[in-house]
Amino acid sequence: MSETSLVQEFTKGLWEEIPPFRLVLGLCPTLAVTKSVETGIGMGLALTFVLVCSNILVSALRKIIPSKVRIACFIVIIATFVVVVELSMQAFAYPLFLKLGIFIPLIVVNCIVLGRAEAFASKNGVGASIADGLGMGLGFTISLSVLGSIREIFGAGMWYGKEVFGASFQPFTFMVEAPGAFVCLGLLLAIMNLAGKK
Amino acid sequence: MRDIIRMIVVLAVLCALSGGLLAAVKSGTAEKIEYQQLKFVKGPAIKEILKGCSNDPIVDRFKLQDGDVERSFFVGVFDGKPNSVAYETFGKGFGGPIGIMVGVNLETDKVIGMGVTTHSETPGLGARAKTDETFKGSFKGLSINEPVKVKTDGGEVDAVTGATITSRGVCAGITESAEFYKRLKPQIVEKAKAFAK
Amino acid sequence: MGDYILLAISAILVNNILLIQYLGNCPFLGTSKKMDTAVGMAMAVVFVLTMAGIVTWILETVFLKPLGLEYIRTIVFILVIAALVQFVELFLKKSIPALYAGLGIFLPLITTNCAVMGVCLINIKEEYNFLEMLVSSLAYPAGFGLALILFAGIRERIIIGRVPTAMQDTAIGLVTAGFMSLSFLGFKGMI
Repeated sequence: MSETSLVQEFTKGLWEEIPPFRLVLGLCPTLAVTKSVETGIGMGLALTFVLVCSNILVSALRKIIPSKVRIACFIVIIATFVVVVELSMQAFAYPLFLKLGIFIPLIVVNCIVLGRAEAFASKNGVGASIADGLGMGLGFTISLSVLGSIREIFGAGMWYGKEVFGASFQPFTFMVEAPGAFVCLGLLLAIMNLAGKK
Repeated sequence: MRDIIRMIVVLAVLCALSGGLLAAVKSGTAEKIEYQQLKFVKGPAIKEILKGCSNDPIVDRFKLQDGDVERSFFVGVFDGKPNSVAYETFGKGFGGPIGIMVGVNLETDKVIGMGVTTHSETPGLGARAKTDETFKGSFKGLSINEPVKVKTDGGEVDAVTGATITSRGVCAGITESAEFYKRLKPQIVEKAKAFAK
Repeated sequence: MGDYILLAISAILVNNILLIQYLGNCPFLGTSKKMDTAVGMAMAVVFVLTMAGIVTWILETVFLKPLGLEYIRTIVFILVIAALVQFVELFLKKSIPALYAGLGIFLPLITTNCAVMGVCLINIKEEYNFLEMLVSSLAYPAGFGLALILFAGIRERIIIGRVPTAMQDTAIGLVTAGFMSLSFLGFKGMI
């Protein structure tokens, strides 16, 4: 695989196919953990780790895994890395783990991870799969932090825990509640659609 | 036939590898996770009770076997002497068990402070037991050897307004804890000595 | 008894799994374009989730907890759910073909539906006893079905309307879901 195409595999996750906007997958964590930038980035990085690791293993084993049980194999691989993330997050970032709650174990059923394993890693080499996983993971992290920023700034008047506006700012609580998540993501998606039109 | 065998072998090997990896990660992180959980769940209460101690009570902890249960004790070092411990006990509240962290001075057997760790009491009423300073403060200086009671029951504790059941539950929990405290005291004193600075 | 009714109402309306807890949103947007598919998906979720809730709860209390293996819960639950879905599919195909014709195509999608896994994890996290678990495993998917079917009804109307190009499909769907979620938020005062 030549170098330019590796770069391509990586950058497509950052713009052309950026999840969850272009690739409408993995909506649950997108909506649930973007109350603040911190949780958004935490979730994004956890997902990136799982995605890269599972992509490496799936593509390395793609010739050994029989196609009939491939989904079961993918699930075992993904679930293993999710538990690794779960344990290390408890050990090194416990407050973040408490905030993300059940959404860490739920990475296991995140369609992005299984989707990339099935659609990309099981058909491509290890190098390309790493590039793909990194790109998709970082794209997801960027999306989550943008969404998290918007919701935190308007919904709580803070960014990364710091005051943005003065004390006179009345937080727009709608944004940090559930409905704000849907509306905000919907509007961002529309903006992305506008920007993507050629 | 060969296909089926291959499927089973691949799946079995994958599962075995995954099990091995996870067991390794688990044993590697177990101690760290226990510390983190103590620090963020029970830590705030422990820190408040043993305020002014010169060590980190969450690091300086030990466990004792009491019948079937294992109890953790957190040591507070004051003026270079490990003379206080904090431990957790449970009382029966309005909405379920209340976790209570009690700090006791080993020399005088007097309560030096208490805090609520976990509870499911009514917000605004029983839940105030966790934050109400008058309530928490009124335990200070009571002897653990005497039954702890709220004022309406003839004791010394100011009950949280509108939450008599919660307050009584906390008192009963502390009174009960005196039993195992007294039973284990020789061992506690022995173990705590090791943390002298 | 009152506690169980309260739990059921809270699971269906106040903590609606789709609109308030944000679980299971992929099928929510994917299968809500037509009423038929929405009803099929809702039925399949109720069916599988109730079974998965019971099986995972028993596994947790009988095996994982006594053996101190809680840390591999994630892996065990997902495998159980995947196997269960396969099993239900085979069973329906053989024994109740009529039902299979209705639910069949939705069943494989359920493995990656986080609502199923999510409710199983909630049951464990909230330390429900057997009856409470049963109520929650029935009520959460009921709330899922309610929201999905209501949403499909709205979406069928939206298609007729003139939506700006950039807002079409998922974007307008998400905004609509946001306003539905706002109305469900109103139930919060109930409990």
